[in-house]
Amino acid sequence: MIMTVATVGNGAGSGSRSDAARSAEALANRRRRKIRSLSIPAQIVLLIVAVLGYIPAYFMLSNSLRDGAAIGASPFGLPTRPIWQNFAYAWEASRFAYPRTAFIVVISVLGIALTTLMAGYAFARFKFREKEALFYIVFGLLLIPGFITLIPLYVEITKLNLIGSSWGLILPYLAGGQALGTVVLRTAIESIPEELFEAAKLDGANDLWMFRYIAVPLAAPLVIALGLLNVVGLWGDYVLPALIMQGDLATVSVAITGFTPPIIAPSLNSYNIQLAAFTIASVPIGILVFVMMRYFVSGLSQSAIKL
Amino acid sequence: MAYGFLLPTFILIGVFCYYPAISAAVTAFTQWDGFNPPKFIGVDNFTRAFSDPAFWAAAWHVGLWTLIGVPLAMIPSFIVAELIFRLRSERAQYIWRAVFVAPMILPPVVSILIWQYLYGADGPINTVLKAVGKDSWVHSWLAEPQFALWALIFMGFPWVTAFNVLIFYSGLKAIPTEQVEASALDGAGRWKQILHLELPHTSGQWKLLLVLSIIGVSQNLMIPLLLTNGGPGTSTLTPVLFMYQRAINYGEYGYGMAIGTMLFVVVLALSILNMRVLRAKD
Repeated sequence: MIMTVATVGNGAGSGSRSDAARSAEALANRRRRKIRSLSIPAQIVLLIVAVLGYIPAYFMLSNSLRDGAAIGASPFGLPTRPIWQNFAYAWEASRFAYPRTAFIVVISVLGIALTTLMAGYAFARFKFREKEALFYIVFGLLLIPGFITLIPLYVEITKLNLIGSSWGLILPYLAGGQALGTVVLRTAIESIPEELFEAAKLDGANDLWMFRYIAVPLAAPLVIALGLLNVVGLWGDYVLPALIMQGDLATVSVAITGFTPPIIAPSLNSYNIQLAAFTIASVPIGILVFVMMRYFVSGLSQSAIKL
Repeated sequence: MAYGFLLPTFILIGVFCYYPAISAAVTAFTQWDGFNPPKFIGVDNFTRAFSDPAFWAAAWHVGLWTLIGVPLAMIPSFIVAELIFRLRSERAQYIWRAVFVAPMILPPVVSILIWQYLYGADGPINTVLKAVGKDSWVHSWLAEPQFALWALIFMGFPWVTAFNVLIFYSGLKAIPTEQVEASALDGAGRWKQILHLELPHTSGQWKLLLVLSIIGVSQNLMIPLLLTNGGPGTSTLTPVLFMYQRAINYGEYGYGMAIGTMLFVVVLALSILNMRVLRAKD
């Protein structure tokens, strides 16, 4: 059970390749494209699936501007008379949670990126006796599902007196990001050509220099892709924050969810305000994902991550 | 030097991953309310679970959920990846990947709340059924025991996730061009190519997503917790929710951890079995 990351030679990102190799590849790509040809029907199917997948987003947006009576009459109708008031109430009720949640997510994601890059570098570049055993201790975490540690973690955080503290979330988040990040970045750093390191060593570079100026820049697209996954996951996380950060200390998703009691039929009006609050909460993540889209799509697609 | 680079990682996973995991396993053999000192009671928590009908109901539910939910998590995403991969222009491929990535910005809680509404007694699903004259099919999907679990399992239609699409796509992209050409020269049709070339070449991606999906589906706490809280009765109870309720709502930490430990052992066994079976096939 080894997870491998093979860099797929196809297109953007690897500027070091020769022109000859590139034009040979372009030719191969052109041939390959001739072989498969079902563009129009395929795109129609993709369009249908995509539209279905966007229904929740549409529902959230349109109903964040409507009221309970309007949903009842036509759930998927457009907001003919938008009720901007929903957004005013929603922002009023949830804005207190933004600075703390942003702090928690930013510190956690940057911390995960730095520590997993360091661990990935150590496993990829250093030779030491217990290396593989230590690696499997990290890798094994992928097989320990989060739920088993949820309750003891909650008890531990209580004992550490971190209930209601941002660090009560940051520390478990930092730990939780280690396994996937370290495993993926180890293989990514291993696939960096040895000559780069050799050349640097001849110039007298030490490991800190090579880490900073060779490993970090070349692993950056993958680090950014993993970072985005972490941002999205942590920003929307609910279960652990709901245990640790309650009331005035709530994170954004806890604050919004706590808006109505989780029963089958919440009053429709608060439902609309809740949807408006979630729309607001999606804005920062949306901006980030769209700005970073290229890294995310290419970073994850160029490396064939498999088990 | 190596140890310096590894130190932060090992401190973090030691304190916040391995310590709680081990203390969960230890707590499973005790009676503990979360405050007073735990009392060692041997395997009593386990025998109690085995004679608890709620435990068996939960085990059956998660089995059914995994059996149906795991293929749902993988196959639609593979089909989408396949369709994107077969588009002619690189540009179109990029745009479609972006289209399927974008919805991930929605908070997961939102899609749960929306499905809660879709399944409601006055919700859109029933409105459509009434509109086409199938009034007898109208149900309060989450409130009727014989439908609630199915409603949870099939939530999230069309079940396409950005991560899975991109992983499958990367696997398809990694198939050597010569092999694609060779199989085309042999006159292999589209289905033959998928069966004999693309499925074998993406087996690593299937294995990875299979293991991640089993873990994901079996430990999904948010959906039953927010939508039904296990009800009506125990009709949507799952082991992870059962563990959560016992520990958090009833203060029976030992019992909760025993349930969690058993679930973990089953998931671990399944993961290892998967990798063995799938490797043997390679």
